[in-house]
Amino acid sequence: MKEKISALMDGELDERAAAPVLDALGRDREAAETWRLFHVVGDALRGTAPLSDGVTARVAWKLAEEPAVLAPRPRAKREPRRWMALSAAASVAAVALVGWVAFGPQQPAPQIAKAPAPPPPARQETASAPATLPFTSATNDYLLAHQGFASRISLQGMVPQVRTVSETSAEAGK
Amino acid sequence: MVARALGLACALLAGAAHAQAQDALEWLRRIQEATHRLSYSGTFVYQHGARSETSRITRYADPAGDIEKVEVMDGVPRELVRTRDTVKCYLPDSKVVKVERRTGERDFPALLPDAVALLQQHYDLSLGESRRIAGLECRAVVLTPKDNLRYGYRLYADRQTGMLMKAVTFDSAGHDVEQVTFTQLSLGHVTREMVKPRHPATRDWRVEDAAAVPANLQGWAVASDLPGFRKIVELKRRLGDSRPVGQLVYSDGLAAVSVFIEPMEGQADAVRPALASMGATHIYTREVAHHRVTVVGEAPAASVRRIADSVQYQPNKP
Repeated sequence: MKEKISALMDGELDERAAAPVLDALGRDREAAETWRLFHVVGDALRGTAPLSDGVTARVAWKLAEEPAVLAPRPRAKREPRRWMALSAAASVAAVALVGWVAFGPQQPAPQIAKAPAPPPPARQETASAPATLPFTSATNDYLLAHQGFASRISLQGMVPQVRTVSETSAEAGK
Repeated sequence: MVARALGLACALLAGAAHAQAQDALEWLRRIQEATHRLSYSGTFVYQHGARSETSRITRYADPAGDIEKVEVMDGVPRELVRTRDTVKCYLPDSKVVKVERRTGERDFPALLPDAVALLQQHYDLSLGESRRIAGLECRAVVLTPKDNLRYGYRLYADRQTGMLMKAVTFDSAGHDVEQVTFTQLSLGHVTREMVKPRHPATRDWRVEDAAAVPANLQGWAVASDLPGFRKIVELKRRLGDSRPVGQLVYSDGLAAVSVFIEPMEGQADAVRPALASMGATHIYTREVAHHRVTVVGEAPAASVRRIADSVQYQPNKP
């Protein structure tokens, strides 16, 4: 399963091959954890993501458990990892959609590595200028929760509903 | 003499504008009535930027409660079924069904004839171009916002039935932000069977029920409401798997903005203010009193942020 998850992340599976893996990610806690760890490890390798304590500990534990080819970088400081955290906590739906992002027809697979990328480190002077983030699958929960009301209010009928349904695939372009 | 002629011309123009607004208002009422009275099935395309996505919609109008089904045809299968009391989102690949139940229904100002008239407080109404869409002769109704706190809309309605065939959202510069267009539509001939979910959730599906209940989120307040946006509901609910959150919904009659408030238990890291955008929807996140505040709405980014920035926690206030 780990090989398949790895292949999935690398965009090496076609849609048919990906389906059972995505399914497993939804059902199997261990598979989901593996998926998450792979991303964390990938981030660490690229040096793009300062990790939170808990994540680092889990990575270290996993690495200790199975002799691996890398060691987690020591962390210099803590940075907020909101979007990663959200991704990790996101629903099965989100995982499935991340998968879709990877295998969507118009979407080159390497984008998957970029989709959950964390915001650049905060700077003091940017306090008034927020980071601009891509729509990630982690936002699905909010969109669905919001959409239930938006579609009730508008005289446009189905439009808000449509909008939100569509948004779940928004990562395709990111 | 000249001044008088000018005055007369102005009065005539103003009168014409007023008459047009009345016509536009009448069209809006027709759209509103048609989209709720008719049974129909059709295919529409949602577009924002260079991206587009096709969906099928089936609507079953019934005095006992309308049912609407939307199936997204591109990408991972997704299906939404909306009844009078619930919105269910089926994700067959992951065997998850997300359930939103309606609460506080009577608080909603929606879809009352008065609500349409109230739109004129914040939007200028006018009639736009005529255009043929999916084989039907349509007329555009344009809602131009009176300020830059909200988006504008061009709604194209079938001349015969009033059915909404195309809706374009545009920003204050007049640029299109997103649009929804029917490419095919057939009226009537819809049975109850046709609006049943294609993948009825069986025992091996996971149900994520929002379990929303009206609530008073004590101590939380949005300090300066956006002009025209008023609070229509305040509740406690679940988000996704388990996260308990508070939700406040604001609307100006057309656009809606939700404010989510969730405790950051067990998370040491601060939330950095961040904005995410797609089409007409914006999400702004910040931290308030060790809570994550997330504002989601179909309004310009500045408006969404303004609401987020005015969220306050005052523990002593009820």
